[in-house]
Amino acid sequence: MSQTITIDPVTRLEGHGKITIQLNDQGEVANANFHVTQVRGFERFAQGRPFYEMPSLMARICGICPVSHLVASAKACEAIMSVRIPHTAAQLRRMLNLAQMVQSHALSFFYLSSPDLLLGMESDPKTRHIFGVVGAKPELGRAGIALRRFGQHIIELLGNKRIHPGWVVPGGVTEPLASAKRDEILAMLPEAYASIKLALAWYKQIADTFRPEIEVFANFPSLYMGLINEDESVEFTDGALRLIDAKGAIVADDITANQFTEVIGEAVEPYSFTKFAYYKPLGYPEGSYRVGPLARLNIVKSMGTPLADAELKEFKQLATGPVQSSFYYHHARLIDILHGIEKIELILSDPLILDKHVRATAGVNRLEGAGQAEAPRGTLHHHYKVDENGLITWANLVIATGQNNNAMNKGVLQAAKHYVKDGKFTEGILNRVEAVVRTFDPCLSCSTHAFGQMPLALSLVSADGEVVDQLIR
Amino acid sequence: MQRNQVRCLILACGNTLREDDGVGPWLGQWVEENCVTDNGVRVLIRQQWTPELAEEISQAASVLFLDCSVESPPGAVRLAAVEPAKPAPGLATHHLGAQELLALAQELYGSIPANSLLLTIGAGSTELGESFSESVTAALPGACDLLKSTISQMVSKPV
Repeated sequence: MSQTITIDPVTRLEGHGKITIQLNDQGEVANANFHVTQVRGFERFAQGRPFYEMPSLMARICGICPVSHLVASAKACEAIMSVRIPHTAAQLRRMLNLAQMVQSHALSFFYLSSPDLLLGMESDPKTRHIFGVVGAKPELGRAGIALRRFGQHIIELLGNKRIHPGWVVPGGVTEPLASAKRDEILAMLPEAYASIKLALAWYKQIADTFRPEIEVFANFPSLYMGLINEDESVEFTDGALRLIDAKGAIVADDITANQFTEVIGEAVEPYSFTKFAYYKPLGYPEGSYRVGPLARLNIVKSMGTPLADAELKEFKQLATGPVQSSFYYHHARLIDILHGIEKIELILSDPLILDKHVRATAGVNRLEGAGQAEAPRGTLHHHYKVDENGLITWANLVIATGQNNNAMNKGVLQAAKHYVKDGKFTEGILNRVEAVVRTFDPCLSCSTHAFGQMPLALSLVSADGEVVDQLIR
Repeated sequence: MQRNQVRCLILACGNTLREDDGVGPWLGQWVEENCVTDNGVRVLIRQQWTPELAEEISQAASVLFLDCSVESPPGAVRLAAVEPAKPAPGLATHHLGAQELLALAQELYGSIPANSLLLTIGAGSTELGESFSESVTAALPGACDLLKSTISQMVSKPV
C-alpha cells in the first residue's frame, strides 16, 4: 500500500519546512519533496516605499544574514542613483559582509550540523544538539561560540547593532571606522584563527567516516554559480558572476547584476513557497544550478588569501573537476570562514580604511537598478524599479536558497531512495534525509517570495469544525 | 572595561515590538541611564539569550538576568536565584534560558558567577506593539527600586 512519510518540521535549519517521502505499493520511494511552508511577501509590501528605505526594509527578511540583503539592496539603490561608492565604503562593506559570513557559517557548522558530525547521524535526538557537542567535545563548542562572537562583534562595531545594523545605506555607509574599533577587531583575530584551524583539523579527521553519506547526499552533476574577480579569485561583495558546468567548463561569464535576469529565470512548484531558479538557455529544470560555499570553491582558481588558498588546493583534490557531493558544503564552509578572517585582516591594513569619505549622494537618475552579492548561502540578487519620485513600483529578489532549491529536492530524493527500503525507516534514516538539506544551510525565511500567483487553498470552517466553504487557486 | 573586572553582568532579554516582552530591554536601558556603570557593571541587551553569552557569564563575578515572565501574574515582580540547568531535550539554539546559559558557561569555561539572579516582571500582554500593559507599567517603579538595590549589593560583594 502506498504511504507518505512526513518529516515536519525539518530541524536544525533556519526557517520552516517539511519533507515528504512518497512510497509506492512495494514500499519503495517513488518521490520526495522539500516543502518550504512559510510566506513573507517582502517584494509586495515594499511597493510604494522610497527606494532609499529598501536596504533597511530588506534587511528585516532575516536575522542571520541581514547584511547580505543590506549590501545587495544598497547596490541596487546605487544603480538607481548611478553612483559609485567611495573606496573606503566598499572596503568597510566588504568587511561587514565577511564578518556576517563568518558568524553565519559558524552557526551552520557548529550549532546545526556538528551534532550529526560529532555524535553521529544515529545518535539520540535528546542529546543531538549544541549541548551534546559541548559535553562531548567542549573545545569544538568553544570554537563555534568564538567564531560566532567574532563575526557578530565586528558587525556591532561597524554598524552599531549586531542584527539589522542601519549603517549600510545607498551611497556607502553612514560613518567611517574609528581607529579604536580597528584595533579592537585586530585584537580578536588570533582567537578566530585558532578556532577555525581547530575546526578544520577536526573536520578532516572525521570526514572519511561519512563516506556512505558523501556518496548519496545530493551527489550528482550540476551547474555552479558564484561571484568571481577578474583574477579568478573568490569575491563576496563585488565582481561578476560565473556559471560553470559539472565538468568545470565556463557556461556563462561576467554576468553583472543588470544582466542577471537575462540569464536566470525562476519557476514555481505547487508544493513550496520558495521559487526554483534556473539558467534560462537550458530551461527548467535542466538549467538548475547550485550556489554557496561548494559552488564558490568549484568556480574559483584561488581564494586570494594564503591559508585559504592552501586549503582550497587540498579541497580540489577531492575530485577531478568540480566536487559534486553536497556533503562537502561543510568543508567548503570552513574554508570560507578561514578566508573571511584573512581577508578582514587584509582590509584592516588598507591605508585608507580610516578615511572619512564614506558616502556618495545622489537622487534618482535611473528608474531601474539591480545589485548582487555573495550571501553565506550563495548569490543574492535584488532588482528594483522606481517611479520618477523614487518610489518602488516593483521589486524582485532571487535568494541563494531558491537557487539551491532544485538541488535540495533532488538530494532529498536521492537520499530517501538510498536509505528507505521496503517501506522501512529509522529515526537515524530520517535524520540523514534532513541532514542533506542541512548541508546547503538554507535560509528559508529569506527564500520565500511570491512570483505570480501562488497556489493557495482557503477554507472557511465553522465553530464546530465543519468546512463551510473552500476556495482553491 | 576588561571582562575580568565585571562585578555585575546584566543580561536583559526581550522583543521591544511585543509589548511587555520588551520590559527586559527597558530595564536594561534604565540601568544604563540611572545606575553607575563604571564600577564594574556591564549591561548587555539582547533580543534573545544565545550561547555566545556564555563566556561573558563565566568571567563575571555576578550576573543578573532581566526578562518578562509569562508564568507570573501580570505585573508581579520576582527576584530569584538561578542555578545551572541540566541538559534537556528540545534545546533551542535561537534562545536559551538563564539556567541553560549558566550550564553552558560551566561546561565550556569551567566557571560561573558566585551569585546569579533572575529578575522578572509578569507579562500582561505580548501582542504586537511598543507600549507596556497597565499592570507592567504600574510595576516598573518598584522593579527599578529592586533592580538598583540588587545591583548595589552585587557590586559591593567582595570578588
